[in-house]
Amino acid sequence: MALVHKFLSGTYIFRKCLKPTVASCPILGTRFADYCSSSLQKPVAAPGKNSSQRNTEGDLQGHHQREVALDITSPGEKPEFSFDKAIKDEIKDHCRRLKDDIVNYWRGPEGRPLHEVLMEQAKVVWQFRGKEDLDKWIVTSDKTIGGRSEVFLKMGKNNQSALLYGTLSSEAPKDGESGRSGYCAMISRIPRGPFERKRSYDWSQFNTLYLRVRGDGRPWMVNIREDTDLIQRKNQMYSYFMFTRGGPYWQEVKIPFSKFFFSNQGRIRDAQYQLLLDKISSVGFTLADKVDGPFFLEIDFIGVFTDPAHTEEFAYENSPELNPRLFK
Amino acid sequence: MSWAQAILLARGLSRGWGGICGAALMGPPFSQVSLQVPRGLHCSAAAHSSDLWLVPPPPPPPRGPTRALAPHEELFRQASDGVRDKANFVRAVQAFGQHNVHKRGHVDFIYLALRKMREYGVERDLAVYNLLLDVFPKEVFRPRSIFQSIFIHYPRQQECGIAVLEQMESHGLMPNKETEFLLIQIFGRKSYPMLKFVRMKLWFSRFKNINPFPVPRDLPQDPVDLATLGLRHIEPNLSARVTVYQMPSSRDSEGAADAPEPHIVGIQTPDQQAALARHNPARPIFVEGPFSLWLRDKCVYYHILRADLLPPEEREVEEIPEEWNLYYPMQLDLDYGRSAWDDYEFDIHKVEEGPIFAICMAGAHDQATLAKWIQGLQETNPALAQIPVVFCLAGSTGELLATSSGLEEPPPPPPEGQEEEEDNQQRQQQGQS
Repeated sequence: MALVHKFLSGTYIFRKCLKPTVASCPILGTRFADYCSSSLQKPVAAPGKNSSQRNTEGDLQGHHQREVALDITSPGEKPEFSFDKAIKDEIKDHCRRLKDDIVNYWRGPEGRPLHEVLMEQAKVVWQFRGKEDLDKWIVTSDKTIGGRSEVFLKMGKNNQSALLYGTLSSEAPKDGESGRSGYCAMISRIPRGPFERKRSYDWSQFNTLYLRVRGDGRPWMVNIREDTDLIQRKNQMYSYFMFTRGGPYWQEVKIPFSKFFFSNQGRIRDAQYQLLLDKISSVGFTLADKVDGPFFLEIDFIGVFTDPAHTEEFAYENSPELNPRLFK
Repeated sequence: MSWAQAILLARGLSRGWGGICGAALMGPPFSQVSLQVPRGLHCSAAAHSSDLWLVPPPPPPPRGPTRALAPHEELFRQASDGVRDKANFVRAVQAFGQHNVHKRGHVDFIYLALRKMREYGVERDLAVYNLLLDVFPKEVFRPRSIFQSIFIHYPRQQECGIAVLEQMESHGLMPNKETEFLLIQIFGRKSYPMLKFVRMKLWFSRFKNINPFPVPRDLPQDPVDLATLGLRHIEPNLSARVTVYQMPSSRDSEGAADAPEPHIVGIQTPDQQAALARHNPARPIFVEGPFSLWLRDKCVYYHILRADLLPPEEREVEEIPEEWNLYYPMQLDLDYGRSAWDDYEFDIHKVEEGPIFAICMAGAHDQATLAKWIQGLQETNPALAQIPVVFCLAGSTGELLATSSGLEEPPPPPPEGQEEEEDNQQRQQQGQS
């Protein structure tokens, strides 16, 4: 059923690519509001416009990738770039990706042969073996609303894992309206296709999320956001808790997708439905346990697999007291 | 009423309703930022600064050096007499009801009391919350007709009730039957506080036991007990043995010459003991740390004793002789072709790290204390005398130090004092002792 859906959406991609609309102007980077997910309040710096400039910025900021802030121009040197060349490179890059996409479409879903995709039981979605793997993630903290928490992401020991560390501070920002504060989050970037088209993950064959982490005993929250392509669902997400043990041993966390509960704008809703896995947009980790102090989380890789022993479809029933309309 | 005033009033009312409906829902037990914070809590409907003002408001009066007292704060002043505990808090709350029968300003008083709870140390006490809910006048705010129940009846009071429940929720308290009875008596069954109460009961009971590594709520105060709890929490192997190498000694009142001895508690499993006995004395082992471990809201630090991973050519494969077990074969070399649908392994090389031989928690993080730990470990692991021990102590950054190349970059924010030294004298000491 997921494959039929893929065929349909594939043809949809074709039609969309042929007539580029004004709404998606990738080169000028005018899609700020569209690109950043709702948990960020400051827009992420436009990727790709001047890739050379971004590289120098990255080197000057040091080894750790800080929270993505607004455009920071390098203090002393002027990186030499030419606007036209950058645009041409960008167009060439996107056209090459489009060509790869079309070729992959004929080879099979995501370029892999069909039998391999159909019979796959365990898939590694995000791994942390190099600096470019860190670019697929965004880190935020409550600095965006005026709080004091800090969070950084860098490669761990021997470039074999990623280390998310920082300090949590639950001091509420003095802006007159926030009563509580203190959160840090690491969210994956939405996967993009050629011409920065939004794509989504299809995990409908799998039923468990697998994480190999090493924490410090703090409880984290794992959030999954669905794709907001057709219907606007920007503030909705599915969450569950991940309890780290602490200690020097690696910990395997397996969370079945049936355990994720639905929440909108940060509050758990009464009407619960299971997480549908065919259009997943991003996965994130949040720490907001109201305890001030430093924290760290080391992640080896994140994958999805099918747990054959897990047959539960959804863990939460709707109650007739809270939702009488569902039971009429 | 002019159209501008009508618009302002309508906007304020709608924001107030949205605020109530938003706050009555359950936030997750860990407070995430709700993007729409209910605005109606502390400001009235029309006084919102982000609105377009037709007439600019008068400039705020210059604030004096002292903070203005909240309306009923003097009740807390006189009742406390310096000592802030539950009895004084209860006395202050009860004093409010005695002063005026009509309980004027009870909403402000309840907000003030919610803010003061943390100072008095009663924020985790359910009886105090019930007492606070008792301050509301009963039976007044219950809706009596359909119209009253359609439009939020007494919205400020309902918001206040929700605020009490919200603070209970953020501290993880489960409301009981008394709370339910009070809420029904005050607000009626169809009100927003009652709705929030039902949601709290539902979601708290669902999430009560989801922590696979539960930590008791009352942590032991004694550092040795805390260290034992922490070490047992870290080590999944139940056959591990916890040893206290040194008890903390209190400082003498005469000002003794000895420095106070910190406690040293270590843990080691029998497997780790065997691995240490087999370890090649030519390769050094490292004492690394301190790493942080959070138990509820307390942070303790631990050190580990570990060795580097052996390069593949030196790893020995354990050969089990075929006659070891006559009943069934210990090693089967069946070559059934498993096709892709039966393969549940991830297609990635998992991070491999060297073996860990022991973990310890100590009161101090300096080399002298850890040397005492190594000496204590030697009693159960005599092989440790021949092995060189390298101390890699860094500031607590929470990552294991890189092995082959040393530290690539200085670890982030706290500047670390890293010492690394070969200790031949350590070996001599161990040889002598």
